[in-house]
Amino acid sequence: MPQTSEIRLPAGTALTQVQAALGKMIQDHEILIFMKGSAMLPQCGFSAQVVEIFKRLDKDFTTCNVLENELVRDGIKTFSNWPTLPQIFYKQKFLGGCDIVTAMYQNGELEALLQA
Amino acid sequence: MNLAEIKAKIIAQLPGAQVEVEDLNGHGDHFSAQVAAPQFNGKSLVEQHQMVYAALGEAMRTGIHALALETKPL
Repeated sequence: MPQTSEIRLPAGTALTQVQAALGKMIQDHEILIFMKGSAMLPQCGFSAQVVEIFKRLDKDFTTCNVLENELVRDGIKTFSNWPTLPQIFYKQKFLGGCDIVTAMYQNGELEALLQA
Repeated sequence: MNLAEIKAKIIAQLPGAQVEVEDLNGHGDHFSAQVAAPQFNGKSLVEQHQMVYAALGEAMRTGIHALALETKPL
């Protein structure tokens, strides 16, 4: 089983610092999933599906639960110009949401990308 | 939000697009859409989806809770 870990926006982050803080989180974690709930307990079917994909690929990943913090929930949508969750970042690149990552998994692109 | 409104918003921003929209739960808030548009040529999947989201604008934050999206160039 892959290792999963959870991160949070640093306590006390002000609204004006959110975008920079999100950028730092994305920079510091190779595979980072912004999702509803946690890897152990996803609280949305789309988030659960993405977690399941990375588990099947046996890749360690980090999650950030947007339901814990409204600043993250809104801020990440601005950061990536993407209105929905989950959102998946790999090596600082925004891969997309549930539909795109699922399609990439099904056609083998995701596995190839993660092994490159 | 109804199916015709969603379709119209997408086509208004992406003229010539072929759009199929489905209401997934009958409540008018969870949808799936298949969009094929000439404007998608040369764009990444992320960019294609961003173009659809931009066409839907504020509706993505208000009327639409979930949108399963499939896009391809036409």
